[in-house]
Formats: sequence, C-alpha cells, structure tokens
Amino acid sequence: MRGQGTSAALALLLWAGTTACAREHPQVAKTPPSPHRTRIVFKHQPLWGDEAPFRALLRQFERTHPHLEVVTEHIPNAADVAHQYFLTALEGGASDFDVLVVDVVWVSEFARAGWIADISGAFPPETLREAYFVGPVEAVVVEGRTFAVPWFVDVGLLYFRTDLVPRAPRTYAELERFATQAMARQPGLAGYVWQGRQYEGLTCNVYEAFWGRGGETMEGGRIALKTPPMSQALAYLRGLLTSGVSPPSVTSAAEEEVRRTFQQGNAVFMRNWPYAWSELQAPGSPVRGRVGWAPLPTESGEAGAGTLGGWQLALNAHTPPERREDALRLIAHLASADANLLMALHYARNPPRRSVYAAPALHDGAPFIASLLPAIERARPRPVTPYYNLVADILQSEFSAAINGIRTPEAAMERAQRLVDHLMEEAP
Amino acid sequence: MTGQDASRAERLQAAFLVAPAVLVLAAVALFPILAAVWLSLHRSILVFGEERFIGVENYAFLLRDTRFLTALGNTAYFTLVAVTVELLLAMPLALLMNRAFPGRGLLRASVLIPWAIPTVVAAKLWAWMYNPDFGLLNQLWPGRDVNWLGTPGLALHAAILVDVWKTTPFVALLLLAGLQGIPQDLYKAARVDGAGPWRVFWRITLPLLSPALLIALLFRTLDAFRVFDAIYVLTEGGPANTTETLSIYAYKTLMRSGNFGYGSTLSVVTFLCVVLLALGYLRLLGRSGVTR
Repeated sequence: MRGQGTSAALALLLWAGTTACAREHPQVAKTPPSPHRTRIVFKHQPLWGDEAPFRALLRQFERTHPHLEVVTEHIPNAADVAHQYFLTALEGGASDFDVLVVDVVWVSEFARAGWIADISGAFPPETLREAYFVGPVEAVVVEGRTFAVPWFVDVGLLYFRTDLVPRAPRTYAELERFATQAMARQPGLAGYVWQGRQYEGLTCNVYEAFWGRGGETMEGGRIALKTPPMSQALAYLRGLLTSGVSPPSVTSAAEEEVRRTFQQGNAVFMRNWPYAWSELQAPGSPVRGRVGWAPLPTESGEAGAGTLGGWQLALNAHTPPERREDALRLIAHLASADANLLMALHYARNPPRRSVYAAPALHDGAPFIASLLPAIERARPRPVTPYYNLVADILQSEFSAAINGIRTPEAAMERAQRLVDHLMEEAP
Repeated sequence: MTGQDASRAERLQAAFLVAPAVLVLAAVALFPILAAVWLSLHRSILVFGEERFIGVENYAFLLRDTRFLTALGNTAYFTLVAVTVELLLAMPLALLMNRAFPGRGLLRASVLIPWAIPTVVAAKLWAWMYNPDFGLLNQLWPGRDVNWLGTPGLALHAAILVDVWKTTPFVALLLLAGLQGIPQDLYKAARVDGAGPWRVFWRITLPLLSPALLIALLFRTLDAFRVFDAIYVLTEGGPANTTETLSIYAYKTLMRSGNFGYGSTLSVVTFLCVVLLALGYLRLLGRSGVTR
C-alpha cells in the first residue's frame, strides 16, 4: 500500500522530469524515447573492464527488437548490500526494473517471497538441465519451477606455488605436509591462507572442508550441522591455525587479503575463486608463472568439491504483463551461449553452460576458464533454502566461534543446529 | 480584557508559526519511532510472508537471547572505554590549543583532520593498517605478528582505538569552546592570590568547564552507543560476534535476514537505552546549570 503510493509519486516525478526535459530540449527528439519503443531496465553489478563488448551485446538485442530500448542500471558490488537493495525495492513493490541479477543463494528466498516471477514457461526446468551444469540448475529451480536462468558461475579452488611444492596436494594430510616442508625451507612463509573472517566466505570454506569428509548438506530436508564430518571440518580448520600451517591473519581475512598475501609470494597454498588467476598471472605479479590451481583436497584423495557461487538472471515479479514477453527475450539473449562466451572472453565470467567449454574460441581466448570445466562440474551449492539469509547469519557466527577456539566444534554446532532447527520449525 | 486577547492571539500566532516545524518533526521522527514500536510487536519476516501481532513475545525472547546480551555488553564496554579515553586525551589537547603559541592555528587545523575524514574511509584506512601481513602497525612493530582484527578480545579494542583517533578532535574542540568562555579575570585573580597551575585547573578550569564537559559527554556517549559504521567496516561484528554492537545486530536482523519484527525490537531497545542515557545527562546538565 505504502509502496504503491511512493512508486506512484516517483512515477509522477519521473514523468514530470521527462516532460520537462522534452520541453526544454526539443532538438533531442532525433532519437526519441518514442511511445512505441518500450523500455526494459536491467539491474546488474558493474562488470569492470571495457564496457564496449557488453554494450555491443545489448545493442545487438535492440537491433533485432527495434521496438525495445534496453537501459542498464548498476547495483552495489558487495553482495550483502545488493541483497539489501533488492529486499527493500522488491518488498516495496518496485517495478522500475524488469530484469535483475540474483546471487546463487538468493533464488529460493526471492521466489518464496514472491519477488521474482516463475519463468518455467519460457525456460522449462528440463531444458535448463540439458544445457547447464547441475549446481546452477539446482539453485534456480525451486520446487520444480524455474525462477531464474544461470548467467555465470564461480567455484572455490586451491591455488599452489609450483616452485615450492612438488605437485598439488590431494589430501588434507598432504596439504599440511607440503606446507610444513616448504615453510621449513623458507622461514617467514605462510602455509595455507583462506577466508576466515566472519562472513559468507567463511561459510564457503567450512562447507568445502565438510564435503571433503563426505558430509551431506541436507539430511531429509533438514540442514545437517551436528554431524561428525562438520565437527571434523571445523577441528581441521582450527587445527591449521593452532599448528601454524595457517597464519593467525586468516581469521580476519576475506578474498582480497589472502590474494595479496599469496601474490606477494608469502604463502604456499591459497583457497580462492577463479578471479584470482588473472591477477596472479598479470605482468609484474611476483608469483607470475609459478602458480598452479587444483581442485580442493579431500580426506580420501579424490578431487574435492568447491562451493558454487555465481549470478543468475531473473524477472521482477512486479513487471507488468505487457513488458514480460520482452523482458524474457532479453534474459534469453543475455543467457545465450554466445553471450556466455562474450562474458568469459571479455569479463572472465565462467559460463554456466556445458557446451561453451567446447568452443574453440574459449580455449584460444580464455584457456584458464576452459580448464575449469572439471571443477565447475563438481561445484556444490550451500544449503538451498528460502531462509538462507537467516541461516547464514547463524552459521557465520558459530563457524567463527569454532575456528577462533571460543567454542569447541561440537558445542558450536550444537548451538547452530538448535537455532537453525528452531528457525525452520517456525517457518510456515 | 484586551491584554488577555492580545496574549491569546500571540500564543495562537506562535502555535501557528511552529506548527510546520512540529508537523515535519512528527512526520520524520515521531512517526518512524512509533512505526518501529508497532512493528516490534509483530512477528514479521519477509520470506515467511507472514505478519501477525504477537504482543511482547519479541521482548520476551530478547531477554533470553544470549546474542543480544553479548551485543549489549559489547556496546556498553565500547562506549565506556572509548568515551573515557577520548575525554582524557581531549582535555590536554584543548588546554594546549587554548594557549597562545606560534603555530597554534596550524595545530588547531591539523587536529581536525581525523574528524574531517568520513568514518567509512577512516575505518577502511585503519583496516589496512591493522592488516597482520602488510599493515603499517605490524611493520612498525616487527617480530610481533599481532592479528588486530582477528583475535577475539583484541578486535573490540582495535575498534575503540579507531573511534578514539577519529573523535578525540571533536571532543577537544568542544572543550576548547568551553575554555574560551572562562573569563580571564579569574585566572588573573588566582595568580595574584598565588595559586599554582594544578590548583587553578582543579578549582577554576574544571568547575567552569563542566557544562562543556557534560555536553561533550552527552554527544559522545549517544554517538558511541549507536556505533555502526566503523565496526561494520573493520570486522562486520566478527570474530564470533565479539565486536557485534546493538546497531550491527539490529542491522543484520533487519536488512540481511529480513526479520523486521525482531529487528525492530532490537532497534527500539537501542533507542530506549539512548533515551535513558540522554535523560540522565540532561538532569546532570540541568543541575550543573543551577549551581552556576
């Protein structure tokens, strides 16, 4: 009710603004925002790098759809700030944007809250399953209905120094041994750096250590926390800190802090996302040419699963029916295989589609991304639940308490399980 | 008769003139507060898609919520230590700035730099200085790898240090204004009577400065109690919620989790704490005004 009032007032203001402008500058009428050209607004995070290829992608759409005008608007880069923006805008019933980007852990929440539209008609779950990797499809299909289309994916990787260790470690024991040996040869070196600050990155790191011990995220529809693999995972991460394999700075580190430490040549191993690769191999990087990546280690030695990250394209549930068809066409265009390739070549965004990894252009233009295929196929999502943001808050503080030694892993997970179960019970 | 009429007309006119201001205040201050109180009596979680009246259940849960008690303790500790240290540092700074010496203008201007930097920028700056691997603080202090923001117990003190660095100049400036309001005659008389500098400070400066001191205390306590931006940038409340203040807990509950009911409860309680603090100070201030 109040939301409608404000958006009506805003619309009025905007209308007044546009008419005023039209009156003041009649000469701009060469390319008029003519009444028969519909505006489709796309909200996304800044892409970084040269905007030109992305602009060309949008213009291509406008050429094939002359009755449409595509307008892009940026949202904040930090995921939690972007989430807050969508939470307030969509709960308030905003309809001033049609297509939006959604983090892999939000789809379920946004769908449940009725903020993004069911687009199964245009993108049936079966067709998505054929074209896309399992992880992203699991994230965008909620109770058998499609609510978003994968745009690009991310996955946790292990980076290692090829000059300091014989090969990538396959087990946790190997990782610790290699790190200790390298540290003994070169004092001042850190062994393994990862993201231990109390935030979403810590949750990703804990889940990777959990899956590497055979942990299952959900058990009978319940988020399983009080389990032996989870206690072992937390004890392992705490142990890395107490044994000195990981420096104490890890408990306050996010992606960029550890990337800098590793790039300065001060660490043997690093857990990070694929974005770090181009930074590490950039001209002038102290570790250029001495870095390799591998799947994360596991207890048994088989290749580990990294946490699935990435962004999807969704349709605003408040978009009026007359714009829906066109907005869906824009989503289809942006999520096409060609667009996936363009995003990989120009913005280093990993395609969510299997077929793109076979494209010769990807192997020539972005060989690193092409090589990620096995890691992306194994990527696993964090708990898929509409209440993820409520759960994440509990997980972050209890994980942090466990790796800092404030509570034992068992006590922390006891608490976390109780709070999460309580939350889920209350859910209608 | 006519005099009464005139004063009535005058009162009416006065009411009429302040009405717009009162209406604006009611709309931008009173309405949101009442709305928050109303929301705090509901169970309202956006994703659950439900909103129902539950009376004081949220407040009952609050009393059992250990995370709330930790946040309240953190906030109180932060406020107490930060404000005390700021006053102790600001006092000599203000006395120094009050003296005539070459370069006084430069000192007054340069002292204000931390205050002039936006809090988020300053906090980001400090976050890099605190970085254990290549931060300035550990470079200056080689051999000791202190993990300022990652060690429970230390992180809150690191945040206090940032707040002290940032707001001591503001307190000093308030005290300086107070110092300049003290008549010079008193100091001259004291000197004639042969009072030493220590005695002058305790018997003249401090008593006459007390209104300014109280104002500074009031401003700083209320500000520190609502601290959000500096800590949010430094630690986001980590490690293990050891730096989580009431504002950060309320923000996370409201904006991250979308739990509007309980988030509003936390906001209302924070507001009540601040109101109580303010009332306490205002009483003290009133008393000090009377003795003067």
